[in-house]
Amino acid sequence: MRRAGLIARAELALMVRSRVALIGVVALLLLSTIAAATSQAHMAQERLSRLANQTQTDALFEAQPARHPHRMVHYGSYVFRPIGPLAGFDPGIDPFSGTTLYLEGHRQNSATISAVRENSSLMRFGQLTPAFVLQTLAPLLLIFLGFSMITRERGRGSLRLLLSSGVTAGDIIFGKTLALGSIGLVALVPAWLALFLMALAMPSEAGAAAMIGLGCGLYVLIWVVGIVAASALAQTGQGALLSLIGIWCFVAIVAPRGAAELASRLAPLDSRATTDLTIQAELRQLGDSHNPDDPFFAAFKARILAQHRVTKVEDLPFNFRGAVSAEGEALTSRLFDKYFVELATVQRTQSQIVSGLSILSPALAVRHVSMAGAGTDLETHLRFLQQSEAHRFAMVQYLNGLHRDKLNHADDAARSKDRAAEQRTRIAADNWAKVPDFVFKPTRAAERLSAALAPILTLSLWLGAMLVLAVWSRRVLEGRAL
Amino acid sequence: MKHVWREINFLVRQRASVWAIALLAGLAALSVGLGLQEVARQKAAMSEVIALQKKDTAAIKVFATDAGDAAYYRFHPTWDPPSALAFAALGQRDIAPSTLRIRALALEGQIYENEAQNPELALPGRFDFAFVLIYLAPLVLVVLFYDLWSGEREAGRLSSLQAVPKAWVRIWLPRVAARFGLVSSVLVVVFWGGALISGAGIGDTIAFTALILALLGFWTLIATWVAKGAGSSPTNAAVLATIWFVITLIAPAGSNLVINAATPIPDGAAIMRENREAVHDAWDIDRDATLQRFYKLYPEYATSPPMQRPFEWKWYYAFQHLGDQQVEPLSTAYRAGIVEREARAGLVALALPPIAIQRALYRIAGTDMSAQWDYQDRIRAYHTQLRTYYYPFLFSAKPFTSADFDAAPAYAPR
Repeated sequence: MRRAGLIARAELALMVRSRVALIGVVALLLLSTIAAATSQAHMAQERLSRLANQTQTDALFEAQPARHPHRMVHYGSYVFRPIGPLAGFDPGIDPFSGTTLYLEGHRQNSATISAVRENSSLMRFGQLTPAFVLQTLAPLLLIFLGFSMITRERGRGSLRLLLSSGVTAGDIIFGKTLALGSIGLVALVPAWLALFLMALAMPSEAGAAAMIGLGCGLYVLIWVVGIVAASALAQTGQGALLSLIGIWCFVAIVAPRGAAELASRLAPLDSRATTDLTIQAELRQLGDSHNPDDPFFAAFKARILAQHRVTKVEDLPFNFRGAVSAEGEALTSRLFDKYFVELATVQRTQSQIVSGLSILSPALAVRHVSMAGAGTDLETHLRFLQQSEAHRFAMVQYLNGLHRDKLNHADDAARSKDRAAEQRTRIAADNWAKVPDFVFKPTRAAERLSAALAPILTLSLWLGAMLVLAVWSRRVLEGRAL
Repeated sequence: MKHVWREINFLVRQRASVWAIALLAGLAALSVGLGLQEVARQKAAMSEVIALQKKDTAAIKVFATDAGDAAYYRFHPTWDPPSALAFAALGQRDIAPSTLRIRALALEGQIYENEAQNPELALPGRFDFAFVLIYLAPLVLVVLFYDLWSGEREAGRLSSLQAVPKAWVRIWLPRVAARFGLVSSVLVVVFWGGALISGAGIGDTIAFTALILALLGFWTLIATWVAKGAGSSPTNAAVLATIWFVITLIAPAGSNLVINAATPIPDGAAIMRENREAVHDAWDIDRDATLQRFYKLYPEYATSPPMQRPFEWKWYYAFQHLGDQQVEPLSTAYRAGIVEREARAGLVALALPPIAIQRALYRIAGTDMSAQWDYQDRIRAYHTQLRTYYYPFLFSAKPFTSADFDAAPAYAPR
């Protein structure tokens, strides 16, 4: 143990003396600090802008004049996907998905306005976020600093000298791991600090922040142990370097794209236009409100008349047209829900395929941890879509309720032709304020923690595999030195 | 030439080099296969939408017997078919819809629609031929070049090789040429295979090929320059990997941050919201004033009789168009801002040849941002065609027949 400490100290002293290593570490620290600061500032600004948009939209809705309630159904409302407190660490899907949803009657719109369509195409090369620096850049630096740690000793003959002086191969491997591990620790500091500050500002997020921090720590440790083992196993420094760069390229660059490509093919998704048209066709099968002899709406009418023991809709105690609107909306909404479940199932399957492939690349696992922990994964977006649809339906049905209860049937029927009747179908503006505001319920911290558990486990398995590799490399090292 | 053949012979006997080149060939072939499949999928999805839309339109025709109803209920499909080279550079086609159904209503509320894709899959980017070329091929060149000089030095052969008369012409240039030639022929052959299958035009294929060679040439120069320096083999490999990393990952990401900060754009959500306000306010203001504003733009309909009822379709379509008119400055500024960002990215690319080459690949394949703007322009032009088709029926009381329903203009893709 003491000998391992000495070896680590000697290795670190060597790195400090070598200017290249020092420049590399300083550059990494600089980049991660810039990434943490800019990403945090950008997401904070974006958070405020969406909040302001939501407040303004809600105020506009309440400020609408006296109107026919169905006008308000078409006027509709906008909801903006809020940003969680940890999104600055890993914005995840936020820039790649629509953030704004227009809610109106009869229709389900797509979430629109996404950063990726507002940025230059440079954005697709990667974004400078703390997560990116740690997941992609840090391992490469560790490779450069660590690949020759043991091959160098062997090349110079100092390995044999060390082993014959009573130092064990285990001491050497452990010492070199300590040295490279402290570099890894330095690389982790800006990310951990950023997470710590975010958790400080929002204590309820501390658990999720800790989980992300743990994931990052495990990921860096996997690389540290793996690099030392590779350096012990390789015949030459350049062999170690080339294979490590190859592995890095696969893990951090090829695997994420390959996994996405595979997932989109194993679980293909219909285009939005196809789904819309399928819903329309199915809707027509169920009940066509444009067809005066439609069996569905005829049966609805008969049922309502029978319930109230009248023979004409004019004799109903409420406005039958409002009741038809509500029934029609319920019908379409059921279909929207059915097809949303299909869409969500396919998308979740796709994401599960990607997570499943994290046994091939720990970068996928650590990305999963940080996106799930920060609430910037697919799940958050699907939740937003689902809750927005529920809000849309509640809003529209509230307005349809007003249409049914507050309007006179005869006026309502004549409003397109008769100016006075049209005026009478306008109801007071104070009704609009009673529509509940949209309050997004994000995934709770506990849910995010449990979602991050599986990828943490994958990372632990990776670490275990690397440790086994390190133990094996110790044997090889002992064998070779003799 | 015989020197180059000799060097190729040496090269194919090195296990690591053969592995690296074979891996590159495999990944390139995979990317081309995936790209061809993706393009076929996109085309199939378009045909599916067009076919489904036909059925939808037939069902609408049954009840939409006047022009107002027809224009209100009928969606018209627009689509942006992938070019013959899209398979090699899928570009930005995954982030915007390639089919959009539109109606003769206000367009600003329709044109920003998004595709229903999984954002987690869009996040890493596509695995296309352009990716293999821009990201992976340079790393293979690094593997082939890094120890070209230092390897000989470390083996103690460098000084005797340098002593050979005309060593550059007889040894070093052939070595460089063999490596460059082998990697480029692998990539070009794989790309040509894809281009042949998808039936790409000869001009575009040549331009694409030139860009492939330019990219590999750029990295060959960099790699040669580093490799003939005094560094040891591992140092050279690390330096080359760092240069690659900075040019392909760090510089674009950093530039994007700077560009965004320097080029603010109007809030996209505000455009849609203002459009909605403009459209819906019409219900509460003087209807005749709305019509008069519309007649200023379309004086040919100014003789249309005044409104008799609280609701008439002509007034409805008049305020839909006025709503678009009202947000036009905002919408233009929004687009100009994004175009400006893209233009500044073009300036950054001047300093980073691989970025410039990737942009050129996307441009030729018609999968870049400007191709998306072109599509939007076509949608806008088509929308104008569409609403002005319905105007005579609405404003001049021209009878709307079943034949008129069928004669509505159809979208013509590029």
